[in-house]
Amino acid sequence: MNAFIVAVILGLATGSIYALAAMGLVLTYKTSGIFNFAQGAVAAAAAYLFYTLRQSDGIPWPIAALISVALIGVVGGLLLERMGYALREAPVASKVVATVGLLVGIPALLAAWYGSSSRPFDHFLPSHPVHLFVNVGTDQIIIFLLASASAVGLSLFFRRARLGIGMQAVVDDPDLLSLQARNPIVVRRWAWTIGTSFAAVSGILIAPTIGLDAPILTLLVVQAFGAAAIGSFTSIPRTYVGGLIVGVTTALSQLYLASHSGFQGVPPSMPFIILFVVLLVTPKRLLLEKGTRLARRLDFAPALNKRISVPTTLVGLGLLIALPQFVGFRLPLYMTGLLFVILFASLGLLVRTSGQVSLCHLAFAAVGASSFAHFESFGIPWPLAVLLAGLVTVPIGAILAIPAIRLPGIYLAIATFGFGILMQRFVFTNRVMFGSTDSLTAPRPHLGSFHLGTDTGYYYVILGITVACCVVVVLVQRSRLGRLLRALGDSPVALDAHGTNTNFVRLLVFAISAGLAGIAGALSGPVTGFTDGLTFDYSISLLLLAVLALSGRRALASAFIAGGLLQVVPGYITNATVSAYVPAFFGVAAVAVAVVPGIGFAKRFLVARRVRERRGASPVAERRALVRPEVVVAGAPLSGTGRAGGRNGDNRVAERVEMARLGAHQ
Amino acid sequence: MRGEGLGIEKLSVRFGGLLAVDEVTLSAPGGAITGLIGPNGAGKTTTFNACTGTVPVTSGSVSLFEHDLSHHGPASRAQSGLGRTFQRMELFDSMTVAENVALGPEAALAGRHLWSHLISPPRQRRDIAQRADDALAGCGLSHLGQHRVRDLSTGQRRLVELARALASGFRFLLLDEPSSGLDKIETERFAEIISGAVASGLGILLVEHDMALVRSVCEYVYVLDFGQLIFEGSMAEAQNSEVVRAAYLGSEAA
Repeated sequence: MNAFIVAVILGLATGSIYALAAMGLVLTYKTSGIFNFAQGAVAAAAAYLFYTLRQSDGIPWPIAALISVALIGVVGGLLLERMGYALREAPVASKVVATVGLLVGIPALLAAWYGSSSRPFDHFLPSHPVHLFVNVGTDQIIIFLLASASAVGLSLFFRRARLGIGMQAVVDDPDLLSLQARNPIVVRRWAWTIGTSFAAVSGILIAPTIGLDAPILTLLVVQAFGAAAIGSFTSIPRTYVGGLIVGVTTALSQLYLASHSGFQGVPPSMPFIILFVVLLVTPKRLLLEKGTRLARRLDFAPALNKRISVPTTLVGLGLLIALPQFVGFRLPLYMTGLLFVILFASLGLLVRTSGQVSLCHLAFAAVGASSFAHFESFGIPWPLAVLLAGLVTVPIGAILAIPAIRLPGIYLAIATFGFGILMQRFVFTNRVMFGSTDSLTAPRPHLGSFHLGTDTGYYYVILGITVACCVVVVLVQRSRLGRLLRALGDSPVALDAHGTNTNFVRLLVFAISAGLAGIAGALSGPVTGFTDGLTFDYSISLLLLAVLALSGRRALASAFIAGGLLQVVPGYITNATVSAYVPAFFGVAAVAVAVVPGIGFAKRFLVARRVRERRGASPVAERRALVRPEVVVAGAPLSGTGRAGGRNGDNRVAERVEMARLGAHQ
Repeated sequence: MRGEGLGIEKLSVRFGGLLAVDEVTLSAPGGAITGLIGPNGAGKTTTFNACTGTVPVTSGSVSLFEHDLSHHGPASRAQSGLGRTFQRMELFDSMTVAENVALGPEAALAGRHLWSHLISPPRQRRDIAQRADDALAGCGLSHLGQHRVRDLSTGQRRLVELARALASGFRFLLLDEPSSGLDKIETERFAEIISGAVASGLGILLVEHDMALVRSVCEYVYVLDFGQLIFEGSMAEAQNSEVVRAAYLGSEAA
């Protein structure tokens, strides 16, 4: 009984920290429509800053905490607000890419600066034992009270304060809000400052229990997603309770399940189990996406002229065939590079063509890799084993189509994120996959007198299969399914209304994409001769999305560019300092590409100038002025900095105003 | 009962405590345009959504040419021949006008079988292109075929949505405020197009605020207010009806 109470108290304390981070997350999501995947990264940054100020510079902890929260919370929050503002019309995929870029980039930067080894982080809150039934640390009481006070304060603020009420309106109709003499930018800044400060505080509070380790700190605060899901990503009080539920269930599962073999994976994964299950069972009507009214679709790259595309493809293929002659011992680098081309091409099918964001692509590859190793050990012929490995992955993709069918845009991204981590924690270590030894042998093919087992031989095997997979992707893109997928990305409602079941199309694309990823995974093992779960860490799935975003918009070209960027280029960097910064670069670059559309490779060079000009000269402004002149007038003077003046009136104002006039309803 | 077509029987839709549609019964024949009018918030669009299966129905049934659709999903209702346009236009914004219109019949063919999602036989492709061309020409959009729909004016976008629905080979169409955002000339052109379309047997149920348009194309109208059917009859009778006037407060029907 005592152990139970101790576990509950411990759970309430850590749960309070999750609740803080989660409430900040919900606050910013509600007001900006940006779901900040990087909330945990912000927390980690604050913890590092606090550590430096206090343990290296010897500043007393209250002042160090104040500086950390001010710098990371307030300054970071204001920067994030700018990012959110730039993304307000962006498609869901760009919004995800931007914050995922930060999630990848910030911990990578911290690891590059401080080294990747974990450091001890001293307790700073007074921790005298107080006797309440059992001994409770004063630090636990302080944390609990702080989170509770924040929850109460924030809830009251939303219900009572004008600023708080304004926050509820700002995401869907900033123009309307500015008509009420409330500057939407001020409202957003407050929201981001508060939300990010909450993250910073949670990072500083949680660091003493786990030490200074960027990836772990980041992941711990990611556990706040589960709490936010319990609050349906909108309700502050429910999110607070959700944080406590996550904390207590995690602590209790630690107490009762950790000793049972087979369940050891449960306690640390509890928040992700909660996240995934809550997303699956929450009624659809509670999970309305924020900020999609303004969202536009990213333009597709115009089809290339055959006179350009055919020679480019041939030259590229020729180079790849000749490659083993001049790269020497670096050939394995190119092998994995090609496998990443398959991964990127299949991810592009999901993200680009059909507009569905998946953050667990590497989980599919892992299923393929482990199944291949098993099939191979059963004595199944090599080519068949690869094919079967791909086929085994198809149903896993189909499983993931279930949240895709249920959940709109951003929630799918969150669900896949949780799914990827769960797969890694639970299924990877299971005997069906890599097992507890976490390593399986994966031999190369043997085919009579052909030397397929050599580096060069196996390179050509991979090249052949990569080309075949690329052909599949191109065929899908150009076939009817490709058109249906584009239509799905643009307007699922219209696709359904014309007789194609969108659920089935989603299922198909997830199945195809997963199957291809499975094949890539299967081929990856034989490059080194063995395969393990670490190769398929969930964080690489995030990196995958970030790098895909900065490789342009062409289905195949971007896959090759991304494969080269992620695998080949880092292999040529011999300077340790520089290579430490590579993931950080990918993260930051992805943010930049998402925020400033048009600096991705393809767009700058390949979109005809004419198209851009024509878009600039659209008659939108005139229409807007005709329909409701005061919106145009009101937008400018009330939005303080002036940057909203010109750009605030988006090209949908006319439609929206018209809808309001006609009494449109959802 | 006035012939076959779309039949709605005692349809109710409840959103929490709000009864948005309350036991509405109406029937709209094929080969004619029937009007569904009423003040804002009367439940017109909700009725449409219930017909196409995008909102769950509390009670009642929907049938098309005496084929019960009540337990079908949206895609399968479209397969049965019930098409619609949207008050807030649902176009494929990343595509051109021609691609948008062609996707109507393509989606209809794709949804038939499992394999037809993947492959389009050449004969179908020709058929789709032919139907799309016809619909574009019929709506006077042929010259805009290669423009992206995002760059068009609201009026043109409405026409694209109509062309897509006409190309898809539906037997019955629900048009939701198709003339909002259209100017006078565009509206007249619109009336011509839909009048031409029903001549070939297509049935249309039209939700509309432009009374001139309703008067010119509808022979029969239903009037909704607060989710209830308050009147049915010819447009002239509707305009003389005290109940209808009261519902509109004389503002729009006058």
